[in-house]
Amino acid sequence: MVDDIKILVVDDERVVIRSVEMVLKAEGYDIEGASSGKDAILKMEQNNYNLVLTDLNMPEMDGITLIRWLRQQKPETGIVILTGYPSQETIKEALELGIIDYVPKPFTPAVLLDVTQRAIEWLRKRGVVEEKPTEEFPPSMLDEIDRVIKQYKEIPGSSIPVLQRCQQIVGYLPPHVQKRIAKGLNLSPAHVHSIVSFYSYFTMKPRGDHNIRVCLGTACYVKRIEESLNKLKQELKIDVGDVTEDKKFSIEVVRCLGACGLAPVIVVDEETYGAVTPKKVAEILEEYA
Amino acid sequence: MEKYRANLLLCAGTGCVATGTPKVRDALKAELEKQGLADEIKIVLTGCNGFCAEGPVMLVYPEEIFYQKLTVNEIPKLVEEHFLKGRPYEKLMFKDIEKKHAIPLMNDIPFFKLQVLRVLRNKGMIDPESLDEYIARDGYTAAATALNEMTPEEIIKVMKDSGLRGRGGAGFPTGLKWEFASKSQADQKYMLCNGDEGDPGAFMDRSVMEADPHSVIEGMIIGAKTIGASKGVIYVRAEYPLAVERLQKAISVCLDSGLLGENILDSGFNFNLEIYLGAGAFVCGEETALMRSIEGQRGMPRPRPPFPAHKGLWDKPSVLNNVETLAQIAPIILNGADWYRSLGTEKSPGSKVFALTGDIRNVGLVEVPMGIPLKTIIYDIGGGVNKKKKKFKAVQLGGPSGGCIPQELIDIPVTYEDIVKTGAIVGSGGMVVMDEDTCMVSTAKFFLEFTADESCGKCTPCRVGTRVMLDMLTDITEGRGKEGDIETLQDLSKDIIATSLCGLGQTAPNPVLTTIKYFGHEYEAHIKEHWCHAGICSDLCSFHIVDDLCKGCGACMRGCPSNAIVGEKKKPHRIIQELCLQCRSCYDICKFGSIEIRPALETKPEPAVKDEEVTT
Repeated sequence: MVDDIKILVVDDERVVIRSVEMVLKAEGYDIEGASSGKDAILKMEQNNYNLVLTDLNMPEMDGITLIRWLRQQKPETGIVILTGYPSQETIKEALELGIIDYVPKPFTPAVLLDVTQRAIEWLRKRGVVEEKPTEEFPPSMLDEIDRVIKQYKEIPGSSIPVLQRCQQIVGYLPPHVQKRIAKGLNLSPAHVHSIVSFYSYFTMKPRGDHNIRVCLGTACYVKRIEESLNKLKQELKIDVGDVTEDKKFSIEVVRCLGACGLAPVIVVDEETYGAVTPKKVAEILEEYA
Repeated sequence: MEKYRANLLLCAGTGCVATGTPKVRDALKAELEKQGLADEIKIVLTGCNGFCAEGPVMLVYPEEIFYQKLTVNEIPKLVEEHFLKGRPYEKLMFKDIEKKHAIPLMNDIPFFKLQVLRVLRNKGMIDPESLDEYIARDGYTAAATALNEMTPEEIIKVMKDSGLRGRGGAGFPTGLKWEFASKSQADQKYMLCNGDEGDPGAFMDRSVMEADPHSVIEGMIIGAKTIGASKGVIYVRAEYPLAVERLQKAISVCLDSGLLGENILDSGFNFNLEIYLGAGAFVCGEETALMRSIEGQRGMPRPRPPFPAHKGLWDKPSVLNNVETLAQIAPIILNGADWYRSLGTEKSPGSKVFALTGDIRNVGLVEVPMGIPLKTIIYDIGGGVNKKKKKFKAVQLGGPSGGCIPQELIDIPVTYEDIVKTGAIVGSGGMVVMDEDTCMVSTAKFFLEFTADESCGKCTPCRVGTRVMLDMLTDITEGRGKEGDIETLQDLSKDIIATSLCGLGQTAPNPVLTTIKYFGHEYEAHIKEHWCHAGICSDLCSFHIVDDLCKGCGACMRGCPSNAIVGEKKKPHRIIQELCLQCRSCYDICKFGSIEIRPALETKPEPAVKDEEVTT
């Protein structure tokens, strides 16, 4: 949902940047920090940001000067002020320059989150931030997820089976799917996330059309699976855990598939290939090309 | 029931399926129909036969003739020879390695001859999806006896007398475990099965669940009756889809036949069994972690006591047994404790299944009596190292919690006590054989990578300590080892063992400790001489051709990916060190052993020189 939103936080106090980062990164925003107005301008000349959260009182260049520069050079960027000493005048001036909102310091995570979300909403309405379809998945998929949740809702300890089923439906478990499940099962999103991040079965990244699982069990290790894994990475030009650009292949490493008799082993989708060698890897890939 | 002249027991275990069972089955079926034999000869798809290395394998019953490495192309010939002309087809039989003659009968093949089949009694003999076939081999007789004729105390007595020890790794006496749970008072108790086989290099549980799911269920019914549990859960890895499918089918057919559910076999006993899919966390093999996982939490262990026998799943008394343990229950009830003790030793009675893998000729699952010398398993059953010219170096027992046993100790009997003395453990029974081309430092590093990754993070010594050890091992294998590293590794190991809560942390340093103990000189060579004798650590070796041995055949030249080998035909070749990537391919290719591994070169000349050298 928030994947593509880039936010720049400008403050001369590192602790402020760190806290904003902690709160907003967890929600999936892309956050960068700048320690002064000058630093911010340098960064903005390099990158585009959707939203800038800035302090007002800073050495070298103050916040108002930065906002003026922004209005001229980057009129599309949304601005929110974070300040500890709001004076009527500066706020008035800032409002005239067209800021979206302001957050008085110190702030709670909830306030920051709320203001940020509203600011982005506002930018969306004006068409500055492209409204990414909130659901990338067809409604039928969501219905299916809801059906699974309903089926397991009353069963204690059902979070893992629900997540397994939902991962089979969607292919992976992005944050908003996790949130939907948390809500449905009456659990906190943190709890659901703690399970997803603990077990290796779950993935938060989409997989390719063909998922290649490489066994790193002892038998495969002794038979030098490493060489085939390197060949695989080289051929597909991706690392473990990534998906090729054309979304065709992804590589995953797993801990023993229990097919040690065939070591070294790789599994493409559900098909097991035994006694693989770097040469054989290339042939297998061709089968799926 | 129709009668068949012959039954073809075709292995449909994961190994054989991957090497071609489905295609072979279709070809066989078509060929039998073509020859008009379909009414006389029946094809049965069985669970894992165990001899995975030679798959797809097939046993012809009743003669017990064993065929291996079946291919679609050979099927017509096989059917013609064996079933039309009545001449067993030698080409597809197992060959004696020295004498090269075929061994037709399965039980004459050394791999099978020295095994005793108790846990694996039905492997490759029955269709795992058929309840009738299981019953025909005494299936559920023990359950009927236990439910209708025995009290929990009587069952516990038999189990305790038998001396059966849990096969999951720790070797805790099963009878005792059941007794504790049986004595706990509660409105609800749970009988659980651990099918979350996580040890890399072990696949016996998978095989049992796939080949004989009913044996596990029967063991659970008997256990449930003993402790008074009305609910049961089988926790299986999601990575074992076939095992899950077979267990599911077995449970539903048991429900339909009154072997599970209400009032089982008219005994008044109720037992409901379900399957829970694990989500991939090695630590969930630990009992308290597994129970947390079933409760829908992160699978993290908790301190014991309270033991699960008093407070387990959902805080109710619970018993967790391993798949292999459960599969042995029924025969013990049927045949008695003395029968069970007729194999094995006083403290380690019975038999144990081992997964024999790695650099060994006969890869597969073997069940042997406890107390058998390690040597017999590796040389007589396993057939020794798979490459003729290579020497045996070590065998790794017990997975990431175990250790490496060197050549000098290969005569020891395989029992829980004797193996522990070496620093390794029997564990779940993974036995990975390594030949002389294995670097023991890298092997230790491999296992630590595993444990550092799988540490749940609860105890700092395990979470951070394994990571620190891994970093040190990485340094050693990449040439940054320092004097004193070995001692630091040993100290750290002791601390991690002493201060971790569960078995994962308490055993994680074992692979490092045993390799230091038996292969300390390799660590020294890595650190002091920058020399990985096996040529595995590419920063710590260089490859050279010994002129006297080189025949100038050019094989290494063709196999070299970086064109680093030069030389005229029939004259000794030379490796240009500046171009060499230390990939070892020349070493593996050379038939004359003319490639020598020496320490890493002090300084590598700049590649600029290479062009001149190549052209000259």
